[in-house]
Amino acid sequence: MLDDELSVSTRERDGVAIIDLVGDVTTFAEEKINTAYAQATGQGARHILLNFRQNDYINSAGIAILIGIVTEVNRNNQKLAVSGLSQHFQKIFRMVGLAQYADIYQDEEEAVRGFAATAA
Amino acid sequence: MTLQMATSNPFIELSVPSELGYEKIARDAVAAFARRLGCDRERVEDLKTALSEACINAIEHGNASVSGLRVDIQCTGMVDRLMVEVRDYGVRRYPGDMPVVGIDLKLQGLAPRRGMGLMMISQLVDEAGFTENTEGGNRFRLVLYFRRS
Amino acid sequence: MTDPPSDNGPAERVIELRLPSKLGYEKVAMDTASSLARRMGFVPERIEALRTAIAEAVTNAIEHGNAHDSEMRVLVMLTAREDELVVRVADEGRKQLGQEQTAPTPRIEEALTRQDKGGWGIWLIRELMDEVEFTTAPSGGNQVRMVIHLER
Repeated sequence: MLDDELSVSTRERDGVAIIDLVGDVTTFAEEKINTAYAQATGQGARHILLNFRQNDYINSAGIAILIGIVTEVNRNNQKLAVSGLSQHFQKIFRMVGLAQYADIYQDEEEAVRGFAATAA
Repeated sequence: MTLQMATSNPFIELSVPSELGYEKIARDAVAAFARRLGCDRERVEDLKTALSEACINAIEHGNASVSGLRVDIQCTGMVDRLMVEVRDYGVRRYPGDMPVVGIDLKLQGLAPRRGMGLMMISQLVDEAGFTENTEGGNRFRLVLYFRRS
Repeated sequence: MTDPPSDNGPAERVIELRLPSKLGYEKVAMDTASSLARRMGFVPERIEALRTAIAEAVTNAIEHGNAHDSEMRVLVMLTAREDELVVRVADEGRKQLGQEQTAPTPRIEEALTRQDKGGWGIWLIRELMDEVEFTTAPSGGNQVRMVIHLER
C-alpha cells in the first residue's frame, strides 16, 4: 500500500531523451527507472535527462539506483543531466557526489539548452 | 508579571510497523512536530531525510526485515534543539561503523551502491550516533539545532 | 451487547502516536493521518474531512478529557485497511464525557445568542466521518473511534 508512488515515462525533445520521474524515488523505483533508461538507450539516445517532478521523497536507496544509471551512462558514452530537484535534494546530490557525474539544472528548459550548448 | 515556569520538554512518541514505506509516515509526523517548534523549512527537510534513513536502517538492519516488528520513534523539543531517537528490536546489532565509501568506488563496482544512509545523516544533522539501549535493541539518536551560529 | 470491533488483527498495520495535551499538537496528528490517507489513495476532499475530524477529536481530548494538563497524553491510533482507515483518539480521562455530549445537535441560531459558541466538534466529526463511536479507552479515558471509507 505504501510502496509504490512513482510514475516514470520517457519522451524526446530536441535530441534529449527525457525521463520524467514523478513521485517518490526509493528502493521500489528500481525496475521502472532501469526500464525507462534501457528503452531510451535502445532508441539510441546520447543525451539523457532525469526530470524530477513532485519528488517530496528521495532516499539513499533511490540514490543507489541513480548511481547505477551513472555507471551505465559512462559505459555507453552518454551524457546525463538532472532537473527539477528541490534545493534540498540538489544538496543531497552534491553531498553523495552525483553532481560530479550529472549536471544539475533547475528545470527542463535550462537542461535542454545546456545539452545543446555542450553539443555545439 | 509572572515568569513562565520551566515546564518539561514537549515530546511525541510514534510507533510504526517495521516495513519499508512507513518511514514516509514517520517523516511527516516528525516534520509537523519540528515545524510546531519553529524549525525553519530547510532544516525540516534535512530532518525528514535524516529520519527516513534512520528508519530504513532500523527496518532493514536492526529489525533485519523481520515482519511483525515495529520501529519506535521519540522526538523531544528543547529550547534550542530537537532530539530524535529511533529504536528497533535489535534482531541484529547494528553499530553502523562501516567505512564511508566515495561514489567513485561505487561507480567502478568496487563497493556496494547502497550504504550511504549514515553518511547522509551525519552531514544533514548536527549530532548523530548509536547510544546505549538497556532494553536490547539498537537506539539511534540524532540532534538538530534550530539555528547554527 | 456486541463486542466492539477489533482494530488490531494480525495483518493490520497500526500507527501509534502519543502527543502532549497542549493545543497546537493536534497538527502533528492531522499531518500524520493525512500522510497515511494520501498514500492509501484517499482523494484530497476526503483527506480534508479527515484532517478536520482528527483536529476536533484531538482538541476535545486535550481540552476536555485531559483538561489541558500538558503532562497527560493523547493517543492517536491509525489502522490502515484495504478499504478504510480507522482512527482512534483516546485521552486519559481526567473528565469523563457524558453520553448526552456525544451526540449534540447544535444550531447556529442558538449559538449566536449563547456566550459559549463552541460545541461543534463532535457534531462535525459525525458529519464528516462514515462511522463514529464513543467508548472507553483501555486506559480508562474517553475514546472516539472514527472510520472513513476508501472509495475508488
